[in-house]
Amino acid sequence: MNAIKAALRNPPLLTLILVVLVWIIAGLTLRGFGAYGHLRYLLELSAVIGIVAAGQTLVILMGGIDLSVGAIITVTAILLPLISPEADPTGLVGIVLTLGIATGIGLLNGAGAAYLKVPPIIMTLAMATFLQGMLVIIAGGSAVSVTNAAVIWLGQARPFEVPAGVLLWVVVSIVMLIIIHRMPVGARFLALGANPLAARLSGVSVGRNTLLVFALSGFFAGLAGILILGMNRQGYVGIGAPYLLTSIAAVVLGGTSILGGRGTYAGTIPGAILLVTTTALITVVNASPGWRSIMFGSLILGLLLISGREARR
Amino acid sequence: MTKTKPLLEARRVFKGFFGNPVLKGVDIALEPGRVHALLGENGAGKSTLINLLSGALQPDKGNVVVDGQPVLRFSPAAAREAGIAVVQQELSLAAELSIAENIGLGALPRRFGLIDYRALSTAVAEVCERVGLTEPLDMPVGDLSLGRRQMVEIAKALFRKPRVLILDEPTSSLSAHEAGILAGLIRKLRDEGIALLYISHRLNEVQALCSHVTVLKDGVVTADQPLAGVNDEGLVRLMVGRDAGDLFPAWQDNPVGNELIGLEGFSAGMARDVNFRACAGEIVGIGGLVGQGQEDFLLGLYGAIPASAETAQIAGRHRPLKNVEAANGAGLAYVPADRKHEGLVLPHSIASNLLLPSLGDLVKHGLRDRAAERKRVADLTRRLTIKGDVGRPVQALSGGNQQKVALAKWLPLDPSVLLLNDPTRGVDIETKREIYLMLQSFAREGKLVILLSSDTPELVHLCDRVAVFREGRLATMLPRSEISEEAIVGAAMGLSAKGAAA
Repeated sequence: MNAIKAALRNPPLLTLILVVLVWIIAGLTLRGFGAYGHLRYLLELSAVIGIVAAGQTLVILMGGIDLSVGAIITVTAILLPLISPEADPTGLVGIVLTLGIATGIGLLNGAGAAYLKVPPIIMTLAMATFLQGMLVIIAGGSAVSVTNAAVIWLGQARPFEVPAGVLLWVVVSIVMLIIIHRMPVGARFLALGANPLAARLSGVSVGRNTLLVFALSGFFAGLAGILILGMNRQGYVGIGAPYLLTSIAAVVLGGTSILGGRGTYAGTIPGAILLVTTTALITVVNASPGWRSIMFGSLILGLLLISGREARR
Repeated sequence: MTKTKPLLEARRVFKGFFGNPVLKGVDIALEPGRVHALLGENGAGKSTLINLLSGALQPDKGNVVVDGQPVLRFSPAAAREAGIAVVQQELSLAAELSIAENIGLGALPRRFGLIDYRALSTAVAEVCERVGLTEPLDMPVGDLSLGRRQMVEIAKALFRKPRVLILDEPTSSLSAHEAGILAGLIRKLRDEGIALLYISHRLNEVQALCSHVTVLKDGVVTADQPLAGVNDEGLVRLMVGRDAGDLFPAWQDNPVGNELIGLEGFSAGMARDVNFRACAGEIVGIGGLVGQGQEDFLLGLYGAIPASAETAQIAGRHRPLKNVEAANGAGLAYVPADRKHEGLVLPHSIASNLLLPSLGDLVKHGLRDRAAERKRVADLTRRLTIKGDVGRPVQALSGGNQQKVALAKWLPLDPSVLLLNDPTRGVDIETKREIYLMLQSFAREGKLVILLSSDTPELVHLCDRVAVFREGRLATMLPRSEISEEAIVGAAMGLSAKGAAA
């Protein structure tokens, strides 16, 4: 009884339990769901959302929101093939350049939020719109194919039968948990999210931390963009669009307060998996796309009521 | 005199939070035409009892009784219906709305479904006159000082024509003048037959206003008796359960060291053109009516709001500090008056709050050193006698203990200048005394303590000098030999003949 109560008060654990339950039930009732190949596929999709949601988790913990992650994914997926130098057979130079651009976009978001005092929701929305316009001018309507070796490896390789993207997600997860729980910046993000005024008067720099958090969000969105590009082998305008709301949903499903100041990436991890699993289950049901959307929306709401519920203050 | 029937009672009420009993069978009866004092240290259960009486909380056991009838499902709406109004310690006003709208909120007069502003302003003007609010009624509440907002809060309660009025520390942010108006008002309301419950840490006010007292200690009633014949010491004994001794420690003459602050023509926010000097080892008081630029002066020194100066020397830096980090780096620390909103991150744990300013210096290989952090937290909680599990959210602590956390978190940085903004507001007597002793020991260690206080006796008993602010300017600097309540209040009101001395 006490263990159940503890689980109910621990959103990450609750979300994890929910994932396990859904997997067991679906595995027993749906043919093919429990196959290793299928579960691996689900994890591969979760990795993408999980990596986008890494930056989103930090921004939301600090009381903001980043509506430009979808656009940043699209930017990286389109720019990377264009700026990868032919002379570099590994493709790493292109990756570094692209991640630099993604981080730079994040820095601009942070500068707007910190120094121009534009609310993050407006700043990142404006940034997303701006980037979309720019991409239409640069790429037109056509898709860009990728030849960058490192990107293709990341999207296709399976060392030890585990997709490289999932391995990347494991690394991102470890880094994220260290940032939030073991580094001073993590505690500062949380303090700023819970009470920016008290944090500022305690000597926590609002400007520097805002810059940092949005830069990290840009970086992780860029990383996810590269992974998506490798999995897709093509970049096109709109490729990142589905990841904006799913990244926010994964964070909130993991029990992180949308108001900031409370939560952890340990919740976002099962949150991302739960989201992907739900989508997969709905696809199995034979329904029209309209009904699938309606079911997906209702399920997200239902899951939130169970796991992501804000503890009463 | 026949026995009057109580309007509002609590009978044998129990209430606990998370398994901690806060009230253990408390009785209280508020009678019409009587000012009833509720005393007790912070954490004794006063706020919880008020919340029960106003329907904000439900008792676990026992009853709230209105007009002799036990109420089963008491709620704030039912309390309003029954004519019970509460003036909360935490101000509950909407800063963007005007004075009139705030006062009328929830009971706005309507006409054809729209707010009838004309009827509202007539009704509001009447209550405002009673509480001495002279500001234009369409002024946004956010533009008022804390003390004036408190008066708006009181007017708001009166607007509903209550039969029972509960005042939770109404004078803690009021100037002497405003407190005087309030005292007169309370007497008038009493004579009109309203039942009043008055909570205050200021015993002289209680003595002057109240005729009956209930004392709470650790969730039980230790006294429920007429006030006549009980003196201050007697009251303190009832609250603390023993003799409290003198509230204020004896003034100490500490050797004065280097000049840590030297300002000419310093301006920040409302504070204008201030000349101010202070040295290591001093306790310098800052007084005056509430909202005369004192707070902005401290915030400007601390780099929290933009400041300018003709010449400035602040802890070795030769211009006003440009932000809080720079101020911390120079050895300044600031403890805000509003600890709930400015001083602490309430939902976070005691430990995280204690560590926040000094997070950066307990790092090993770029990671937080958990063992060193635990040691620091244990050390701080022991030095300041903050009791209980440090993993609890700081909002679970009583006001006094919260204030100790807000102070303690600066100690690891070993600041040379402490800027304290009303550090004893809403703090129980025992903690007040601890804080006073702490301030004296800071001065002994050669720190400069700048103490802004709305409690004049505090300035008189603790400070080496007192700077009195008036309309944004430093009106008078009183040396130790001239400090008295009369001198401070006089200078604050602009009455001092020697006012030009500074």
